[in-house]
Amino acid sequence: MADIVTEAMAEIRRIAREELEFEGAVEPAHDLLRDLHLDSLGLTVLAVGLENRFRVMLSEEDAQGVRTVDDLARLVAARVAAAKPDVGAHP
Amino acid sequence: MPSTPRHDPAPSPSLSAVGRALPAHYASQEQLIAALRDLWATKHFNLERLEDLHRNVQVGGRHLALPLEEYPALATFQQRNDAWIRVATELSETVARQALERAGLTPKDVDHVFFVTVTGIATPSVDARLVNRMGFRDDVKRTPIFGLGCVAGAAGLARASDYLRAFPKQTALLIATELCSLTLQREDLSIPNIIASGLFGDGAACVVLRGAEAQATGPRVVGSRSVFYPDTERVMGWDVVDTGFKVVLSAKVPQLVKEHIRGNVDGFLAEHGLTRKDVRHWVAHTGGPKVLEGFESALELEPGALERSWKSLKQVGNLSSASVLFVLAETLEEAGAQPGDWGVVMAMGPGFCAEMVLVRW
Repeated sequence: MADIVTEAMAEIRRIAREELEFEGAVEPAHDLLRDLHLDSLGLTVLAVGLENRFRVMLSEEDAQGVRTVDDLARLVAARVAAAKPDVGAHP
Repeated sequence: MPSTPRHDPAPSPSLSAVGRALPAHYASQEQLIAALRDLWATKHFNLERLEDLHRNVQVGGRHLALPLEEYPALATFQQRNDAWIRVATELSETVARQALERAGLTPKDVDHVFFVTVTGIATPSVDARLVNRMGFRDDVKRTPIFGLGCVAGAAGLARASDYLRAFPKQTALLIATELCSLTLQREDLSIPNIIASGLFGDGAACVVLRGAEAQATGPRVVGSRSVFYPDTERVMGWDVVDTGFKVVLSAKVPQLVKEHIRGNVDGFLAEHGLTRKDVRHWVAHTGGPKVLEGFESALELEPGALERSWKSLKQVGNLSSASVLFVLAETLEEAGAQPGDWGVVMAMGPGFCAEMVLVRW
């Protein structure tokens, strides 16, 4: 799980730099709207990029609790964990 | 604020007639989504999200320069632009002939042709090709304008009117021809390009403008105002790449409308001793649902004030520079306007910038 959070952070940084032309640093505590200045299009670009990289779907409902970069990375990790086959999870 | 108008309203040119045309090939939004879905799937995982983006622009379908099945074969800039020159010339001739006929004029009566586009390039420009095809006089003046984008419909009206104030006996054509479908970069699967492929359509319009001393009917262009928003170059435009024009589109467009258009319009109207309450006809560029909502809320418009723009957006999509002229045509053709009515034609485009044109019936 922690590995996926780290990977998601790296992907968020890549998308911010390469696709959103954001030039500043991207830190876990940064607010997506206030600090990264993302608008509706920017948020969509970010969500689509993460969906493509991690093969998960992020819904409108998911977005309700997401405020910071860290929130988003953790959401992606949770969706990845939920999507994995449940092999060995039960006795 | 100046106490007297910056523009002398006396030699105001008139808008005599508007012609408009759409290419014959129509595809509904669902047909377009179906055609693009396989392409999106080569990169994107959540296709439902992309379909929603296409549906959210509230466009029912688009008229296309070519049959839908011919687009996948357009791989190079040359192929796209060759198709653009062919169809743009045909469509421009159609609208120019239609507008002249409605004004009761012939090509020989035209002194100046303004041609605006942002979707293809040609030298000699399309207006030159029309001189040969339509038989304009050999002393006809031509001003091809490339690059103003969506604002060019309103800006073209303003520049043609500026010209006619200097030559009040003359007649000018403004032709706006946009084949947005031929700019689609199939290999660009970015979200802005996917949104653009859902929003923009193809079409052309032509306005006949006549100087104040020409015998003409139609509303008068009383004044115009350009507004440039500094340091907004990446809000909208093209990145020119090896395969053609790759769209630059930011969600800041509706935000800029909301932040600025009210002050811009109020300042412009005040120069002419008017307020928003004096304006009976709003002719707004059909930028997209959020742009139209931005106009409505920022200008506190009455419900239905932009009905013609909404209808045009839903029927044919955003036709870039031609869009506002389609809405203008609808406004002129409806019998609702009374002598003395004021109207404002407004559009925004790459720069980022806006153009407002004050019209009086």
